[in-house]
Amino acid sequence: MTSQRMIEFVHVRREYRRADGAHVTAVDDVSLIVPEGEFVCLIGPSGCGKSTLLQLLAGLDAPTSGSIVLKAKEIEGPGPERGMVFQRDSVFPWMRVIDNVEYGLKCRGVRAPERRRIARDYLARVGLTHVEGAWPRELSGGMLKRVAIAAVFANGGEVLLLDEPFGALDYVTRRQLHDVLLALWDTPGATRRTVLFVTHDVDEALTLADRIVVMHSGRIADDIPIAAMRPRNDDTLATPEIIAIKHKLLAHLGLQTKGAHA
Amino acid sequence: MSAAAKERLVSLAVFAALAGLWQIMSRVYVVEAQPGEPMIPGWQILFTRTFLSLADYWGGGFGVPTVADGAARTYLAATLSLLSHLAFTLARLCVALALGGGAGFALGLAVSWSRFTRALVEWPVHFLRALPLLAMVPLFQLWFGATFLGQSLFAAYGIGVIVFAATVNAVRNVPQIYIDNARLFGASRFALYRDVILPAILPAMRSAALLCLAAGWSAVLGAEYLGAQTGLGYVIVYAQQFAYLDRMFLVALVLIVCTSASFRLAQTLFARWLVWAPPSMRA
Ligand SMILES: Nc1ncnc2c1ncn2[C@@H]1O[C@H](COP(=O)(O)OP(=O)(O)O)[C@@H](O)[C@H]1O
Ligand SMILES: [Mg+2]
Repeated sequence: MTSQRMIEFVHVRREYRRADGAHVTAVDDVSLIVPEGEFVCLIGPSGCGKSTLLQLLAGLDAPTSGSIVLKAKEIEGPGPERGMVFQRDSVFPWMRVIDNVEYGLKCRGVRAPERRRIARDYLARVGLTHVEGAWPRELSGGMLKRVAIAAVFANGGEVLLLDEPFGALDYVTRRQLHDVLLALWDTPGATRRTVLFVTHDVDEALTLADRIVVMHSGRIADDIPIAAMRPRNDDTLATPEIIAIKHKLLAHLGLQTKGAHA
Repeated sequence: MSAAAKERLVSLAVFAALAGLWQIMSRVYVVEAQPGEPMIPGWQILFTRTFLSLADYWGGGFGVPTVADGAARTYLAATLSLLSHLAFTLARLCVALALGGGAGFALGLAVSWSRFTRALVEWPVHFLRALPLLAMVPLFQLWFGATFLGQSLFAAYGIGVIVFAATVNAVRNVPQIYIDNARLFGASRFALYRDVILPAILPAMRSAALLCLAAGWSAVLGAEYLGAQTGLGYVIVYAQQFAYLDRMFLVALVLIVCTSASFRLAQTLFARWLVWAPPSMRA
């Protein structure tokens, strides 16, 4: 692979001072290189610093020390080359679905007919053409996630950050959205976006990732490439290697597993 | 019959019952405030003699002579009189709402706009907020006398304080996730306020608007009691000096109709702006 490095975390550290005066190190000396087009899943127990790491990369927060470099430029704040999908609903309730999808393009001065065309295209790809004029309150949780995903893809960012985006959804909806997300990421003829996807769901990580980075207490505890073929399904994910990785991941999350360890 | 139609019927019945009760009370309780002025004037008095007597407050114009110039009371003069005084009251209210609402809103937004604007407005405004409105009456009288501007500014002050506090509070309660999302999409600060903060605070501003509308009516009438020569407040005070109970009551009725209409208007406007919101936020 001759992939270019897209994101580089260099000894990144983020400390918080809690209300009671205690210092919490949310991210502790993280160094990580993500090549362009890679789909990385960040996994780890609750409170290990996954969201903080994403916030830092998004530019919504700044590291206490260290630096984050994006395409050879240090991050100093949010930018249009990065898009983010949150676990909680971030779709603006006061904008119709299509206007939500267009919003990033509008902020960047793309002309109305052009941005409408792009927004319609992405709405079609997430299967929401029929609700483009609806208000968000008329949509289900899964549909709102589709809107949020269409919006960040329409905005054209090369780096997509997703923080447990499907955490609050039911199993079936979640699996449908995996397909939607992967189809957008792996569009034939288009360059793949670089994705950082936070999850605490081992199966979700195995379904989506090229590489799974495990975090623990603010540090990177493991970094596992997933070589399984795409498109993946329950059978391709049932190989001995994948099952071994699954046991390893479950152990990282502090879960006792039955069966063989690799 | 639909539920809405039923509700309407009930409201109408209550209205008719209240009007009937008033009429019965006027027959039962026949004490007079002064000879010829019943404490409880019945409708047959209110809509004839009382209404005609409003012609006394007609200031002239449109070729309709004033009672002071020796003309007889006419329904035309009475109607013009009522409308003109109502127009003055409404004008004061509108000026007060525009000035007070505009200033309170702008200053409220300034608190969150930037550190600089916050430092600029926070202290002076908190100082102004701490001053009770009624304590300012003598001051406003000395500063402005009984002028239209003074009365409007007095009401504007009362409205502005409410709108300012509501705006600051509403902006503070905008969910961070919307602000983050807009910043991630590349919204400028101006775009953030226009596209996110303003719509997000609208449901909270709706209740603030109804509150300051009520405060606005009170403050304008209060200002008119204090030496104005026009407005419904002036008519009430003038009538009170001669114990014209029926006139005071009639003007109060007109006021009830007007304030209700203004509330309806505000509610309709906000309902239109809040089409996107769940019904619980619109009512
Ligand atoms: N704004 C903050 N103030 C104080 N502590 C914080 C803040 N944000 C996160 N933390 C702390 O940092 C740690 C990591 O949090 P987070 O990144 O949200 O974990 P995760 O997303 O992996 O569950 C937690 O202990 C959390 O309490
Ligand atoms: Mg988290």
